[in-house]
Amino acid sequence: MAQARAHSGLLTMWTYIARNILQRIVTLLIVSIVAHSVIHLAPGEPSQVDPSNPRMKPSDIENIRAAFHLDDPLHLQYAYWIRDLFTGELKSFKDNQPVLPKIWQRFLNSLPLLICATLIIWSLSFPTGIHAAIRRGSVYDRSTTFTAYALISIPGFFLSYIMILWVVDTFNVPVIGMKTFGMEDADLAFRSMDRLWHLVIPSLMSAIGGIAVLSRYVRSQMLEVVGQDYIRTARAKGLSEDTVIYRHALQNALLPFVTMFGFLLPALIGGSVIFEQIFAWPGLGRLGYEAILARDFPVILTINFIAAVLTLAGTLVSDLLYAVVDPRIRLQ
Amino acid sequence: MTTLSGQQSAISSQLETIAELPPHETQLQEFWRILKKDRLAIFGMIVLGVLLALAIVAKVTTEWVVIFDPSTVRLPDKFLPPMSGASADLIPTEDRPVFGVYLFGTDELGRDVFARMLQGSFVSLSIGFIAVGISVSIGILLGGLSGYYGRIKLGFITVDTLIMRFTDVMLCFPTFFLILTVVALLPPSIYNIMIVIGVTSWMGTARFVRAEFLSLREQDFVVAAQALGLPEYRIIFRHMVPNAMAPVLVSATIGVASAILTESGLSFLGFGVQPPFATWGNILSDGKGFIFDAPWLFFIPGFAILIVVLAFNLFGEGLREALNPKLRRR
Amino acid sequence: MWLKRLLILIPLLLTAILLQSYFWVPTYETQAKGNPKRLLKYIEASSGDAKILNPILNADSASSSIVGMVFEGLLDLNENLALRGRLATDWTITEQAYLLVDPDAQLPNGKSATAARLERLIQHALDSGSLPELNGVLLHIRQIPSEVRTTTVEVRTPDENDQPKTTSVAVSINVPERVAFMLSRVDQDFFHRLTPIIGEQYGNNFQLDKYIHITDPVDEIVETLVKAQFPSLLSVTEHNPELLFHLRQRVKFHDGQEFNAEDVKFTYDSIMNPRNISPRTSDFEPIKYVEVLDSYTIRMVYKRLYSPAITAWTMGILPEHLLNETAMQAEMDERDLSEATRETFGMRDSQFNRSPIGVGPYRFVEWQGDQFIKLDRNDDYWDGPPEYEQYIVRIIPDLLIQEVEFRTGAIDFYSALPHQVARYREDDTYQNFSSLGFGYVYIGYNNRKPLFANPQVRQAMSMAINVDEIIQYIMYNEAERVTGPFPKVTEWYDESIQPVPYDPDGARALLESLGWKKNADGWLEKDGKIFEFNMVTNSGNPIRKNIMSIAQNAWKKIGIKCNTQYFEWAVFLKDFINTGDFDATVLGWSMGIDPDLFQIWHSSQAGPQQLNFVGYNSPEADDLIVRIRQEYDRDQQRVLTHQLHQVIHDDQPYTFLYAAKGTRILDKKIVIVNREPDGTEQYEKIYPLKSGAIRFYFNKWRKLEHTPAF
Repeated sequence: MAQARAHSGLLTMWTYIARNILQRIVTLLIVSIVAHSVIHLAPGEPSQVDPSNPRMKPSDIENIRAAFHLDDPLHLQYAYWIRDLFTGELKSFKDNQPVLPKIWQRFLNSLPLLICATLIIWSLSFPTGIHAAIRRGSVYDRSTTFTAYALISIPGFFLSYIMILWVVDTFNVPVIGMKTFGMEDADLAFRSMDRLWHLVIPSLMSAIGGIAVLSRYVRSQMLEVVGQDYIRTARAKGLSEDTVIYRHALQNALLPFVTMFGFLLPALIGGSVIFEQIFAWPGLGRLGYEAILARDFPVILTINFIAAVLTLAGTLVSDLLYAVVDPRIRLQ
Repeated sequence: MTTLSGQQSAISSQLETIAELPPHETQLQEFWRILKKDRLAIFGMIVLGVLLALAIVAKVTTEWVVIFDPSTVRLPDKFLPPMSGASADLIPTEDRPVFGVYLFGTDELGRDVFARMLQGSFVSLSIGFIAVGISVSIGILLGGLSGYYGRIKLGFITVDTLIMRFTDVMLCFPTFFLILTVVALLPPSIYNIMIVIGVTSWMGTARFVRAEFLSLREQDFVVAAQALGLPEYRIIFRHMVPNAMAPVLVSATIGVASAILTESGLSFLGFGVQPPFATWGNILSDGKGFIFDAPWLFFIPGFAILIVVLAFNLFGEGLREALNPKLRRR
Repeated sequence: MWLKRLLILIPLLLTAILLQSYFWVPTYETQAKGNPKRLLKYIEASSGDAKILNPILNADSASSSIVGMVFEGLLDLNENLALRGRLATDWTITEQAYLLVDPDAQLPNGKSATAARLERLIQHALDSGSLPELNGVLLHIRQIPSEVRTTTVEVRTPDENDQPKTTSVAVSINVPERVAFMLSRVDQDFFHRLTPIIGEQYGNNFQLDKYIHITDPVDEIVETLVKAQFPSLLSVTEHNPELLFHLRQRVKFHDGQEFNAEDVKFTYDSIMNPRNISPRTSDFEPIKYVEVLDSYTIRMVYKRLYSPAITAWTMGILPEHLLNETAMQAEMDERDLSEATRETFGMRDSQFNRSPIGVGPYRFVEWQGDQFIKLDRNDDYWDGPPEYEQYIVRIIPDLLIQEVEFRTGAIDFYSALPHQVARYREDDTYQNFSSLGFGYVYIGYNNRKPLFANPQVRQAMSMAINVDEIIQYIMYNEAERVTGPFPKVTEWYDESIQPVPYDPDGARALLESLGWKKNADGWLEKDGKIFEFNMVTNSGNPIRKNIMSIAQNAWKKIGIKCNTQYFEWAVFLKDFINTGDFDATVLGWSMGIDPDLFQIWHSSQAGPQQLNFVGYNSPEADDLIVRIRQEYDRDQQRVLTHQLHQVIHDDQPYTFLYAAKGTRILDKKIVIVNREPDGTEQYEKIYPLKSGAIRFYFNKWRKLEHTPAF
C-alpha cells in the first residue's frame, strides 16, 4: 500500500515535471515569435545595409538584403532563423561570424563577474539582514534600512563613475576591463591577482543593488519566523539565543531562498549592460547592446531566446526545488 | 539595475503575496497612525510633496511664464560653478538669469543648470507617473479579467490560462534588455519611452491583482453583492478594485522610482529622452563627460535622482508596512 | 555557535581575498617593474570594436586601422601626401586612346573618314608641328580593323510583385574600324586637340542603332532600357589609362609565402566578385582588365578616365593562396557546412577575416570581441621590423573611461575629446597632438525646398551663425574654420577664400530685401508664412547637438524659427537623409585624399540613397567635378579644385563650419628611436607631419623607461 502510494507519488512527480516542461516550451515558442516580429517590424536596418557607406551601390545593398533574407515574408524569416539556430549555422549580420560561439565566449566572460557578484551578495546579505532582524528598531537596523534603500536608489552608472574615479585617484591602479594589458609576460601570480582585482569593483558595483534587496529580504523572513510559536517554544525551553536564532529560526527562514538559485542565470543578461559598458567588460550584456546598435538581428534574437530559456529553466528549477524542500507544497 | 534583477522581482512577488489583504474599508485612520510612526516614510512623503509642488512650479516657470530659461545659450558663461554671477559685460540683459546668479552653475553651453533641473523635474516625474499609470492600468485590467472571469472558456483554453501564460511570456524577456531593444528600434520620442517602460512592467501588478481578485470573489461581501444581483461592473469597480488597491499603490510608488532609474540608465546608453526635453537622466549622462571640468553637472542631477528615488522607495515601503496587517501585528 | 561565526567569517574572508589583489596590480610608475617587456608593447584605446579584418571588405575606422598594420598596399602616401611605392617599387601611367571611324562623318577637308586617312592626317599634323601640345605625348598611332563583339547587358525591371528583377540581354556590336593612339601621359583633352583635323562635329551623329543589335528576344520595356545603355557600349572616343606597376621582390606574407603579381590580380578579382559584396567596387569598377606580365610586373587597363583609381591601390593586398577557390572549399569542408550555407559562402564568411594574414609590419595574433585585438611584430618585414614587439588595441566604449585608463598607464594612446586636451596642455607626463584631419562639419540645407532654394537665403543663414564662437567654446579651439568642400590639409583647398562673415544685422537686411519681414511675434514672415523649418541630426553626438542648439539660438535672434530633432543614426539615415525628407541637418564628411567630389556634389547624385542629399545642382560645378576626376595632372587638378571651391562657396549649399583637429594624447615616454649604423640609439620627439599624421614613423616608436628630456 505504502509502496504503491510512493510509486504513484513518483509518477505524479514525473507528469508534473513533464507537463511543466511542455508548458514552458510552448511559452518559449511564443516568446521567440513575439520577439522576432517586434524586431523585424520595427524601423531601422541592419548596419551592413547601412547606406551611409558612400561606396555602397543600391545593387550591393540588394545583394546583402537577399543574403540575409530580409525581403522574405516574416514567417519565412522566422523559419530560417530557427533552422539556422538549431543547425548552429546562424551568422551575425555584422561580421558574418557564427552567432553561437560568439555568445558562448561572452557568456564565459560574464560568468566570473556573475559568480563574484553572487558571492558578495549572498555572503554579505545574510549577516547584515539577520543582525538587523535581531535588533529590530535599533539604530543599526534603521541605518541599514536607510542604507539599503539609498543603495537601490542610486543610478548604477553614477555610483560606478564615482567609485572608479575615487579608486583611480587614490590608488593609481587600472580598474577597467578584465585585466591589465601588457602583463602577458609577468608571473602567473601577478596575472591571476590582476584578473581578480579587475573583478572586484565591477562585481561590487553590480552586487550593490542585490545586497540591499537580499539583506532586506533576509531581515523580513527572519522577523516572520522569529514571531512563530515554535521559536517562542524554543526560547521557553531555555535554549541560548544564538541556538534559537541560528539553528531554529534561520533554518526555517532559509527555505524561500532556495528558490532564488533558479534566477541566478537569467540575471546574466538583464541588467549587466550598463556595468559592462562602463567597465569595458566584454560580456553578454555588451554583446547585446552592440548588437542592438548595429541592428544585428540574429544576435539580438538569439540572446533574447537564450535569456528566455534561462528564465524558464530558472522558474522550473525553483518550482522543483521548492517542491523538494517544502513538503507542504503539494504537486497539483 | 542590478545583476540580480531576476531576484528582485522574485522577492517583490513574494512580498506581494504576503501583502494580500482582507477587505478593510475604513481603516484610513489606523493606516495613518502607523505611517506616522515611520519617520523614513514621512521623510519620503515630505520630499515627494515638495517635489510635486516643484514640478508644477517648474512647468509654469520654465514654459508658460518663462522665469527660469533652460534653453538660452550663453557661451561666454560656460562652466560657471554654482552660485556664480553672470558676467555682466558679455551677456545681454535679456539673456541673464533671474537675480543674475546661476544657482546650480552653467553647463557646457552656458545654459542655466538650475532652470534645466527644474524643467527636468517635471519631465522626469511625468515619465515615472505615466509609465507607471500605463503599467498599473494594464496590470489591473489583465489581472482583474483573469481573476474575475478566469473560468470562462475561450475554445479549449480558459481566460485565466490565456492571460497568465501571456504574463509568463512577458516575464521571459530580460526587462532592461527588452526596453533597450524596443527604444532603440522605435523613433526616440518621450512618449515611446513612457509607453515602453509601462508596457514592460505590468506583470507583477497583474499577478497580484489576480490573486487579490481570486480571494476577494470568495469573500462574503462580494458573494452578497452577486446574490443581490448587482451589475458586474459595479461589483468589480465599486467593491473589488478598491479593495485590491493597497498592494497596487505600494508597487506603483516603487514603480515610479524604478521608472526614473530606468530612464537615467537609458539616457546613459544614449537612448533616453532626447532634447529639447531635459530630464535628470540626460543632464546626468551629458554631465559625466565633464566630470573633471564641471563636477556639478554630474553631481547635482545624480544626487537629485538619488534623493527622489529614495523618497519614493521609502514612502512605498512605509505604505507597505502600514497597509500590511500581518506585519502590523508584530 | 559555528553557523554564526561562519556567517561573519565568510564575508570577511571574501573581502580580504578580493582586496589584497590590489597589491599585485601595477600603477603608472611601476608598470615596467618586474615586467620590462611592457615597454615593448604599444596599447591603444578604441571606442568601437573592429568588424571585419579584410582590406577589401572593411568599411569602419576601427577595422581599417588594424588592417593598415597587417596588410600593405602597392602604394601609400608620403610625408607630403603624395604617392610613394610600398609593394610596388615604381609605376607609370600611360594612356591608350581610341577613335571610332564614323564613315558618315565628314572631315574638314571634305573627305569622309577612314582609319587610314585619319592616321595619315594626324601623323602629318604631328610631324609638321601643328599639334605642339601632343609633341612627345602622342607616341604611336595604329589602325584597328573592324570586329564583332558580343556582350550581355543587365537591366532592372519591376516584376509582377513590383520587386526589382534583373534581366540579362545578349547584344552584338559591330565595332567599326578604329584608330588607336599611344600616349605617354593621360590627357583628357586629347580628342579636343584633334579638332583641327577631325572637325568640331565629328561623331556627333554617330548612329548607334546601326552598329548594335539585341540578339535575345525581349519585350518593349526591356528594349528601351537596353537601348538607353547603348552609349556605354560603344563610344566614338575612348580613353584607356594604363597603370604599370613594378612590384617589390622577396616580400613574404606572414605565413612565409612570397608575394607576387598574382596576389594583386586576385585582390582585384575578389573586389569585383559580386559574391563578396565589397564596398570598394566603385574604385575598381573602371578597370577594364588586369594583366600579369610576369611575377613582378602587372598592368591595369582602365575603361575611362578616373584619376582617383590610382590612390585606390593604397588598399592592402590579399594573399591569393589562402583565399582562392581551393582554400575556400577546404574551409567549408573543415567547418562541415550544410549545402544551403555553401551556396552563399563567400569571402565575407571566411575565418580569414578574424585572423588575417598580410605582408604588413605586424602579424595578427588574437582578437577577443569587444575586448582587444593583439598584433605581434613581423620580424621579416621588408622595410625592417618595427621597434614595438606588440601592438594591442583595447576596446573601451566610454571616452571618460579611456581617459581614466590612460592616466593609470593601462593604455598608451587615446584620441581625446577637445575639452580633455585642455587638461594635458600643461602636463609634462604626456604629449598631446592636435592637427587637422580630413573631415569637416557643416550645416546642410535641403536645396530642393523652396525655403532654401535661393543662394542668398542660404548666405543669410550662414551670416547669422558665429562660427568662431562655436570653435572657441564647443571645440576649445581644436578646430579651424573651413570655407569649402576640400580637406584643409590638402592642396585642393583654396586658402585665399574668405569665410562668410558673422553679421546677424546683415543677414536680417539681406532677408528683408528678399521679402522676409518681422511680424508681431518677432518671427520673419513672407506671404503670410513665417520662416520656420526643422533641423535634424543623429543622436549620440554631443558636439552636433551643441551646434544645433547654438544655431537654433542664433537664428532665433534674427527671427527664424528652427525646430530641432535628434534621431538614432539608422533611423536618421533611413527616414531623412536617404529620402531627402528634411529641411536642414548638421553633419560631417570625412574626405579622402582624392579631389573627387562626384558623389557628394554632382547633380546626378541627388537621388534617394545618394550622397548629394541636399540636392545641390549647379551646372558649373558639375562640369568642374567631372573634369577634376578625369584629370591626371596634379597641378591642373589644383587649378580646377580651387575654381570648384569658389563656386560651392558662393552657392553656400552648406554653411561650412569647421574642420576638427584630431586630438591625440600619448605617453611622453614614447619617442622615435633612430638607430645609428654603429648600433647606438638616438631618441627624437614625436612630431606631426604637415598632413597632421603623427603615426607616419610608427615603426620607429618605442616606450622608454623614463621620460626623456629634449
